Amino acid sequence: MNPQVRWLIERSAQKIKWIFILGLGFNFVYYGYVQIIKRGYFQARAQNQAIKLRPIYAPRGILYDRNGVRLVDNVNAYELVIHRDELPINDEVLRSFATEFGLEEDGFLNAVRTYRDEGSGIEPLAIQANLTEAELALAERLKARFPFLSIESSPRRSYRDNELAGHVLGYIGEIDSKTLKRKPGSFQLGQWVGREGVEAQWDSYLRGRDGAKRIMVNRSGDEIAMLDEENAEVGRSLVLTLDLRLQKILQESFEGKKGAGVVLDTRDGAVLAMYSSPSINPNVFAGRMSQAQVDATINNLEKPMMNRAIQGIYPPGSTFKLLTAMAGLEKKVITPETVFYCSGRKNFYGRDFRCDKETGHGAIALIPAIAQSCDIYFYEVANRLDVDDIYASAHRWGLTVNTGIDLPNEKPTRIPSRAWKAKTSPKDPKWYAGETISVGIGQGQVGVTPIGLARFYATLANQGRPVIPHLVYGMKNESTGQVDLTPAPPQPMIFLEPRYWEVLHEGLLQTVQSGTAADSRLRDVDMLGKTGTAQVAKFINRSHYLRQTKSLRDHAWFAGYASKEHPEIAFAVLVENGGFGADSAAPIAAKLVKYWMVDRLQPDRPTSPSLSPSRR
Amino acid sequence: MSGMPSPFSFRNVLFPAMLLACLGLMNIYSAGRNTPLSLLWVKHALWLGISFGLAFGIRQREGGQAFQWSIPLYVLSLVVLILVLGFGKTIGGSTRWFSLGFLGTFQPSEVAKWITLLLASHFLGQYQPDRIPKYFLIIFSATILVPMSLVFLQPDLGMALSFLPIFILVPLVRSFRFKSVVVALIALSLTGFWGWKQGLKPYQKERIMTFLNPSKDLRGPGYQINQSRIAIGNGGLWGHGIGGGTQTQLNFIPVKTTDFVFSVWAEEHGYIGVCVVLSLFGLLITRMLDIGIRARTLEESYFAIGAACIFSLHFFVNIGMVIGALPNKGMALPFFSYGGTQTLAFCLVLGLLSGIEHRGVAKS
Repeated sequence: MNPQVRWLIERSAQKIKWIFILGLGFNFVYYGYVQIIKRGYFQARAQNQAIKLRPIYAPRGILYDRNGVRLVDNVNAYELVIHRDELPINDEVLRSFATEFGLEEDGFLNAVRTYRDEGSGIEPLAIQANLTEAELALAERLKARFPFLSIESSPRRSYRDNELAGHVLGYIGEIDSKTLKRKPGSFQLGQWVGREGVEAQWDSYLRGRDGAKRIMVNRSGDEIAMLDEENAEVGRSLVLTLDLRLQKILQESFEGKKGAGVVLDTRDGAVLAMYSSPSINPNVFAGRMSQAQVDATINNLEKPMMNRAIQGIYPPGSTFKLLTAMAGLEKKVITPETVFYCSGRKNFYGRDFRCDKETGHGAIALIPAIAQSCDIYFYEVANRLDVDDIYASAHRWGLTVNTGIDLPNEKPTRIPSRAWKAKTSPKDPKWYAGETISVGIGQGQVGVTPIGLARFYATLANQGRPVIPHLVYGMKNESTGQVDLTPAPPQPMIFLEPRYWEVLHEGLLQTVQSGTAADSRLRDVDMLGKTGTAQVAKFINRSHYLRQTKSLRDHAWFAGYASKEHPEIAFAVLVENGGFGADSAAPIAAKLVKYWMVDRLQPDRPTSPSLSPSRR
Repeated sequence: MSGMPSPFSFRNVLFPAMLLACLGLMNIYSAGRNTPLSLLWVKHALWLGISFGLAFGIRQREGGQAFQWSIPLYVLSLVVLILVLGFGKTIGGSTRWFSLGFLGTFQPSEVAKWITLLLASHFLGQYQPDRIPKYFLIIFSATILVPMSLVFLQPDLGMALSFLPIFILVPLVRSFRFKSVVVALIALSLTGFWGWKQGLKPYQKERIMTFLNPSKDLRGPGYQINQSRIAIGNGGLWGHGIGGGTQTQLNFIPVKTTDFVFSVWAEEHGYIGVCVVLSLFGLLITRMLDIGIRARTLEESYFAIGAACIFSLHFFVNIGMVIGALPNKGMALPFFSYGGTQTLAFCLVLGLLSGIEHRGVAKS
């Protein structure tokens, strides 16, 4: 190689070397910038994507019946969620995910926006709960492309007996925004809480407290290591006062009927059975429900969402006559020996009032007037009272307020008074004496719930000792099996002259022995009760009544207790459009009493108790 | 001065390469931990052992015969490149490999690139710089463009681009001017940019992009680069130590044993570690250029400088890409990225250069 060529080569190579050193210098500077000046930013980002705070769900408390029979299970279901710290900012990504997963785009985006703007905390956004096998496979596949998705196992409720105690147990669901706003700080968006029944009322006990864990995740979002955790507090288990067998009998009795029944333990107010027909299946709500299903249930003309036992307000009809009698006795307008004459009809204040028995009962005293359900007798009593006297008695007996049962949304009983009318109908505030006549037999403006009436009859059975109906018997410690009882607070006694109790009990006993409910008399046990017929539409005469369509037929009542000497249970049964109380409501009550007072105590009681009330 | 300098001397081009290979092996070990590739470092060590063994062998024995063999080698490599298009193994939409069983795969283009350089240097070395005929430049260009097109068809844009530095050999001895290279580069990129913006419809761009980049990132554009930058920044000054980088160990870094292997290094060894590696590469490449200056013959000079340019391209494209300064175009980082064939090729080239260095130094 000649020196000139060597010189050329050297000159070019040196130039290349300088270009190279320039490039190398640039990289020294740029790496220094990223690794030293910007390291805080990048280190924070590295941590944020590798270390995550995630909730640990507290297992919800279990529900048992009074005999320890399990009513509900916690099961694990797969749920597709997005955690807050992984929520994509780009709506386009969300849109294409929604399309691929088969979600309605705008609805999904709205849900994401609500979650992003209104919520905080570690509760993730639930996209789809209770994934099916196919959805799970699809979700797994989509996760590769949409790394913000997480598939989590989350505890769900499974109610063992479906409709059996739907209204009592209630169900759980995602928290609604109203509750969220009412109690800021105590809930998080997306959290599952009790929505009805015991699940809602006792939610704070059942729910426990969710924990949290700090975990290290890899690129796929899989947990690699747990850094630290705050344990979840398991929810408290509840033992309910329900007796599942009694509940079953009640449910079967209402097959094909609308209405409600309540059975109380007269000794402590424990609810032994409560059923509202048509019932709801909490599994439907705990699972996944489309908006259409929700609407269909809520707008159903039969109103299955309503717990008729505590929310249905019906005129008590003749079951109210006991209160009229009591008010009369207390006000001394009658004595147990007072006799009125019933000719089948009587005119009060220019209006004709009829007795159920068109031919009339003739001269009749208090006890047979109760047993035969003579209307004229109680018109006469009411006529001698002011409406406020009846109201005062009702108030003393606790009929003017809620019973205080531990269920949400109990509706108050409605007992009219002068003040009440002035308030509710300002156009016609004056009370007319004629209105008091209707109130005397539980018609007109009077409205009671089955639970309110059952409590009234329980107080009657206890000779004035009221009880507060309740559904929780105690809390169960799942590890020791021990049950801590929740004692019922004592209530002030209602005083009535002792001989009057005897008269009222006798009237109720004769109703079943020989009176209006004689068909439902039981062979082995004394049942006491009162039939009632609540007018749906005013009727002109019986033949017309019989032609009425079913929805206009009267509601049938039967309320009472058993037994006379040792009262244990009180009940109220209402069958909507059931006609006469003796025909449809009393036989149901008879089945309940027979099971509780007789069959239950047989050592070899049949698994499905034969339920035929003895007939005369 | 006679005899051979010790292999452990900076006067030997193989020495910085060996240091880099040791660091790279350590890094592959760390990148593969807790993944299905946890034993990849053993394979890499095996390849390194064979490659450096051959490199030292070449340094001792070879005395310029390689250039005599360049024409048959070139023809053979063209045949193999055609064969791989027909019978190669397709991975990620691209057909570049022959399966080698236990040893993994063989990527002919890795070797073809160096053989093309060898042949180009040999051809060009036949002429005095001022007597190169015009028609020869056409033949010279065709020599490079034919294997380059075959590689482009695989498709492997990164590898095809790494043929380009060979063209630098022409202006090397003909008034090489920095200015003209800059002007040419700017003109080329402007034309390309305009053509991309104006000349193509969106679906055509999409098609070209998927052709050039078949294993497109499923997590959205920029995800891989982003994760790589986070890893580098996370390293800070001192790094997190082997096995301590969350970006590495939790698999946030994509393809972390090949294209993004340097992000692993930067996260676990910090800016200090980065400076060490940059300096070693600086040493290696300036040494290669020095060999070009001191070589006995023109073809040896061409070969050394061409090799230095190809090494530089690999080096800059890779470290620029992992930090996000350059687009995501897969080009291996010599001695760091896992890859049997390429490691072998890099070593053989350095072995040849070491021989040239030895003879050149001995003579001067």
